[in-house]
Amino acid sequence: MSIQFKSIVELRAMLDKKSISTPELTQESLRLAKKYKELNCFVTMNEEMGPKKASAIELDKKTTSLISGIPLAQKDLFSTEGLRTTCSSKILENFIPPYTATAVEKLEDAGSITIGKTNMDEFAMGSSNETSYFGNVHNPWKKGYVPGGSSGGSAAAVAAGIVPAATGTDTGGSIRQPAAHCGITGLKPTYGRISRWGMIAFASSLDQAGPLARTAEDCAILLNEMAGHDLKDTTSLDVKVPDYRENIEKPINQLKIGIIKEFNLSELDSEVQSRFQDSKDLYEKLGAEFVEVSLPNISASVPTYYSIAPAECSSNLSRFDGVRFGHRAENTEDLNDLYIKSRSEGFGDEVKRRILIGTYALSAGYYDAYYKKAQQVRRLIKNDFDNVFETVDLLMTPTSPNTAFAFGSKGAQNPVELYLEDLFTISSNLAGLPAISIPHGQINSLPVGLQLIGNFLREDQLLNAAHVFQENSDFHLMQPTMENFL
Amino acid sequence: MDQETVRTICYLARLEIDHKKSEKIQKDLETIIELIGSLQSTDTTNVEPLYSPLEMTALKHEDVEKSDNKKEKFLENAAASNEDYFLVPRVVE
Repeated sequence: MSIQFKSIVELRAMLDKKSISTPELTQESLRLAKKYKELNCFVTMNEEMGPKKASAIELDKKTTSLISGIPLAQKDLFSTEGLRTTCSSKILENFIPPYTATAVEKLEDAGSITIGKTNMDEFAMGSSNETSYFGNVHNPWKKGYVPGGSSGGSAAAVAAGIVPAATGTDTGGSIRQPAAHCGITGLKPTYGRISRWGMIAFASSLDQAGPLARTAEDCAILLNEMAGHDLKDTTSLDVKVPDYRENIEKPINQLKIGIIKEFNLSELDSEVQSRFQDSKDLYEKLGAEFVEVSLPNISASVPTYYSIAPAECSSNLSRFDGVRFGHRAENTEDLNDLYIKSRSEGFGDEVKRRILIGTYALSAGYYDAYYKKAQQVRRLIKNDFDNVFETVDLLMTPTSPNTAFAFGSKGAQNPVELYLEDLFTISSNLAGLPAISIPHGQINSLPVGLQLIGNFLREDQLLNAAHVFQENSDFHLMQPTMENFL
Repeated sequence: MDQETVRTICYLARLEIDHKKSEKIQKDLETIIELIGSLQSTDTTNVEPLYSPLEMTALKHEDVEKSDNKKEKFLENAAASNEDYFLVPRVVE
């Protein structure tokens, strides 16, 4: 029986009915990964430890979690003990972490099997997966097209049906935008909901881990395991984790959804507008009420983000100096030369560009004008969200202004062109709010995503609204043919 | 932004830029700085910066001694080390 394109819920039923064993399921998932090698969605396979763990789980009758025995893929930004973790960068090409990230450890403790580490934009800096040292990932829906980024490998692996779900991280849209471009569901939880310990840091006040899966229900199952306080991450919230599946079926006839006036949807591609209108109609049919709301400062999100994120990145990436881990240049004259050569050889162009911008924004004389100013505008953006959430439960936007695009077609001449990909997603990172992307149709055979943004710690409302949408539509069930990848 | 500023930032960031790419980098940085510069039009008088969405005080935990020393594992990841230390080119003559 094929396991391709099955959800966690479906695979759980197969395991419980014993129509497949845990070791067979792991092998089948690894086989699919090999079969679709051309997608390039994996950087490293866990061929040794994965099957071993699967055999152990098969014998262990005590594990009762829903994800016990379920194969998962981890974004190659999560440290995994004994399993190479590269962040898709040359500088970490041979890095074997001495510990496992808390988010992954919790999934593994619940019995899931890591089958491999997924390709991504280098250090998660990108929206197309084209900055990876290990090459581009193809969109399973169209060869030669981007899967989105930065969690592009995770999104492609799920969309291709190799694994039912994967982990990702989202600093400015890196879970939601690839989920949208690949036609799957991706959740960025509230900042602090999931521990960041063991995640290789990009921008610490924006980074958040989350699940990518075929359905909102599967995202709820994974969030149940991943969420929670961690003593090793002081920014992880010490707030009770509810059962995110408990109220997922609840009728949504009391739901009030805001449409953000400032996003000017009428300027978007007419097909993107028309998918959005269809989804609005469906929600209305299901009893939700729509109101127009104003977030006066939201249009400043892109410049705010591109000041804060590079500043934090330049600080975080200063740890890569060729001394304690990572690539080290040869034939260096002195310590300073060792730092410069190791970093220059190890980082790709986009990472260097962001480090330089961040260094500039934080340097004497510019700090107030760029970095502090951006953090002030960030407060205004957060205040705007606080205000609108007094009157609405959720906000609804397209996830991305367009569908997936061809390799090399964006950002080569002007990097800002690619930065605008994140227009709808980055404000929730700045404010620390949860948001989800669900598939809601296709344009020219490429998936389109719908984004819902929730109030602080209201992942339950997001998952409820997304699940009810999926119960009443079949966009999340669509599958790419994969015939061009054989 | 001129070439001299680019060189200074590169040095501060301990990065070397390929001569062939230097003009492109300068142009890219100018474009991005221009984008960020657009924030100047937002009035932020008396607005406190928001450095983290949580704005909470870090939680404290008890200072308990633990012995999960992974020294060997950590040293294994270094390109050059001896039994106890990471090795770098000579710093003091």
